[in-house]
Amino acid sequence: MTRGAAPPRSRADTPAWLVQPQAPLRPGSRVGRRRASFLERTLGDGAEVFRRAMYAEIDGSRGALQRLDPRAKLVALVALLVAVALVHSPLTLVVGYAAIVAVAWAGGVPMRSFVRRVWLVVPAFTAVAVAPATLSVVTPGQIVVPLWTWHGAPQGLTRQGLLAAALIVLRVACSVSLVLLVTLTTPWNRLLGALGALGVPRIFVTIIAMAYRYLFVLLGNITDLLMARKARTVRPPDHGAGDRRFVGAAVGTLLGKSHHLAEEVHQAMVARGYAGRHYALERSRFVAADVLVVLAALAAAVVILGVDRVLR
Amino acid sequence: MSCAEELPASEPVYAVRNLTYTYLGRFAALSGVSFDVRRGERVALLGANGSGKSTLLKILAGLIHPTSGHVAAFGKALTETALMEEQFNRDFRSRVGIVFQNPDTQVFSATVREEIAFGCLQLGLPPEEAQQRLDDVLRLLEITDLVERAPFQLSGGQKKKVALASVLVMNPEVILFDEPTAALDPRTQHWLIDLIGALGEAGKTIVVATHDLHTLADLTDRALVFAEDHTLLADAPTPAILADPAALLRANLIHDHRPY
Amino acid sequence: MHIPDGYLSPQTCAAAYVLAVPTLAIASRRVSRGVTTRQVPLLAMFAAVSFLVMMFNIPIPDGTTAHAVGAVMIAIALGPWAAVIAVSVALLFQALLFGDGGVLAYGANVLNMAIVMPFVGIAAYRVLAGRSALRSTRRVVAAGVAGFLGINAAALAAAVEFGIQPALFHTADGMPLYAPYSFAQTIPAMALAHLVVAGPVEGILTGAVFAYLAKANPEALRGTHGDLVTSPDAGASRPARVGWSTPAKVAVGFVAALVVLSPLGLLAPGGAFGEDAPADLDLGALGLQAIPAGMARYTGFWRHTVLADYGAGGAHATLGYWLSALVGIAVIGAAVYAMGRLVGVFRGRRATPASAVQD
Repeated sequence: MTRGAAPPRSRADTPAWLVQPQAPLRPGSRVGRRRASFLERTLGDGAEVFRRAMYAEIDGSRGALQRLDPRAKLVALVALLVAVALVHSPLTLVVGYAAIVAVAWAGGVPMRSFVRRVWLVVPAFTAVAVAPATLSVVTPGQIVVPLWTWHGAPQGLTRQGLLAAALIVLRVACSVSLVLLVTLTTPWNRLLGALGALGVPRIFVTIIAMAYRYLFVLLGNITDLLMARKARTVRPPDHGAGDRRFVGAAVGTLLGKSHHLAEEVHQAMVARGYAGRHYALERSRFVAADVLVVLAALAAAVVILGVDRVLR
Repeated sequence: MSCAEELPASEPVYAVRNLTYTYLGRFAALSGVSFDVRRGERVALLGANGSGKSTLLKILAGLIHPTSGHVAAFGKALTETALMEEQFNRDFRSRVGIVFQNPDTQVFSATVREEIAFGCLQLGLPPEEAQQRLDDVLRLLEITDLVERAPFQLSGGQKKKVALASVLVMNPEVILFDEPTAALDPRTQHWLIDLIGALGEAGKTIVVATHDLHTLADLTDRALVFAEDHTLLADAPTPAILADPAALLRANLIHDHRPY
Repeated sequence: MHIPDGYLSPQTCAAAYVLAVPTLAIASRRVSRGVTTRQVPLLAMFAAVSFLVMMFNIPIPDGTTAHAVGAVMIAIALGPWAAVIAVSVALLFQALLFGDGGVLAYGANVLNMAIVMPFVGIAAYRVLAGRSALRSTRRVVAAGVAGFLGINAAALAAAVEFGIQPALFHTADGMPLYAPYSFAQTIPAMALAHLVVAGPVEGILTGAVFAYLAKANPEALRGTHGDLVTSPDAGASRPARVGWSTPAKVAVGFVAALVVLSPLGLLAPGGAFGEDAPADLDLGALGLQAIPAGMARYTGFWRHTVLADYGAGGAHATLGYWLSALVGIAVIGAAVYAMGRLVGVFRGRRATPASAVQD
């Protein structure tokens, strides 16, 4: 272990197998192509998400929505989310969704990903989950599509069930779109600053910021672990037990590493005078446009609920 | 703010006497080390991996404390209790800066701007002055265009510059560097060596922990060589150390087949 | 288990915030009152770890995935209040950056995964671990079981939040305004998925990480285990009890506890689990991307082979519940036993502790 104790190694000490060249590469393969394991795909997806976050944040300030104060955007977001949550008619939500898309379009949000990120996720999660609720066994009511009979009573899709399912799916779509509208147009660090300005304690903001920052470091660590494993994997990967063992070891290593990192970061903070207090470098100003956005959001919320009263 | 007035010119910045440090009560990192560092000196802590130089640097930065022995900084004992006193803590932290080897541990804020402002705000500088210093140091290190970036959007060299900026912005008297040139490309290495030289000429006291013999003569005037048994092997001007292969060999810094 | 916006009424969300915000305030006071300032970076790291743990969808034999939360693991290492903050921060990322879990529903998600889960977990851990040595098998199993119980408690809390929606919020003609399923559907659905899939995953993760920390980095446990962490080589000389007696005992005790608890599900009003389609599982809430094929098979199995010949009405429903409960319990018992064995094997292979000297 200690370099001092070992005698200096010359070429003669090197084991013979280490200087032996390997057989030349054979073309083709009998085992078939090596498929990425589940774990590799998950990690790959994770890394991709972060890479996107990374470049998304570089171009921060073009478009009207991007320039707004993040505090105004957060307040507007909550007002509109509450309004959407109080709506009783699917029709209102259709109109509402159209309005959100229009605002996004006007604000220079990339349309394709804005629409896709909602409609790829919502059907897979929400629509499948609420589908059985359209049946009379879950939501009794007026049967519109009879499917079978149970002890003489017709069973099938009910009006109430279908409306409820449509309501939930649309509400989830509107809510997710609203959140996306804010996150796609606001750099993360400004969003963080806004949380502080809106009364979230500084210690929380510091922890959130630091956690976000080290997410990347730790993710890089896992990716390295995986790469190291992959580089040493000669046989095709097993897709179950091996992955599970790896996850256990990876999380353990991750915890150990994060503990060590936390210690060093703490020293770096203390070295620069940290004594448990948190300060913000204040620099954002609330301008007329921001006040206007908050007022517009409140007005929109009132309009949504008014329309809903008429439609329901 | 300067402590030059408080301190007689001959008074050492650091006085280290018979210092010993052990990890977990049994793994020695430093054993019986004594030396002084004078104002304006550029000192190298030279040793192989595991010889305890990073530990010593952290002790000089007041981040960890010796198991036994005595360390004084600016004529005052540097102990855990002394640093709990708010005034001394503030004075000491504003005078001593440390640049860690791994910039990932040092650059911990959400953006470059907040990272560099952190020290100023912690020391209670008003935000306007912090902003002014921030702008100056960004210009000095030629990283003004990085100010809104998040740390994960930076390359290794850029991160190192940000780490350096976050220390320089506090205008420390003493700057401690842990392996400053490690993992930097040659261009950034040269830039850093020039910067450290300029800081030395400006009167800063500089302590560099390194095992890189190539940059040693450019960076420092004096070298402390640590043996692998964690004792102080030699303390002499850098050219004399570099001219003494026997000492370097004993410290396991060079290979007998291949002098540096 | 992340509840998105739209499933819960704003009133429910507000109530959850009313519970979550003061808890977070207490947590931040408790944590920052610590003697050192060390907690801030440590909590940040653990929040990042929790986020990554949630991102790790672990493959299960069906070809589907489940994810753990890590809340109990953090509670054991740093204390429940630290877990409250770390998991809340991870959940905030997911809500704001990835649209995973709602903004209005954030309070409810915090309540389930960042409050109920670590506290139930740490309580179970303390009871089960007793005064055993830091590196005893019992302590590792206790950590695993605590993780299992913690995530199931969180799932139960979510099921209750879902279940009250149709009863409290519907239109005059019976149209549910929010989540449409009643207790009788949400509780068995969530329970089955978490007892069988996510729970064992969380349990194994918590147990394995605890074993790792106790072995490789006991200093990480000093804050919560104080005097149990004595010197770097504490307990190393004691041979690990690798055998099947302890895991088996724990598994049996666990099954007994579940059998006792199962009738609680029958108290839920109306409905019958046996009649529900597998799609009733609230997938969005479970964080699963497809109906676990294995579960679909099981429910099909009940309906067509076992239950088809039985009469109508109440007997049918109760039987369905009991059958699913029994299978669930058997699976859990086996999982706890297997986990105990696994931990035993893992510990048996343990090398002498290596404490690295830092440069």
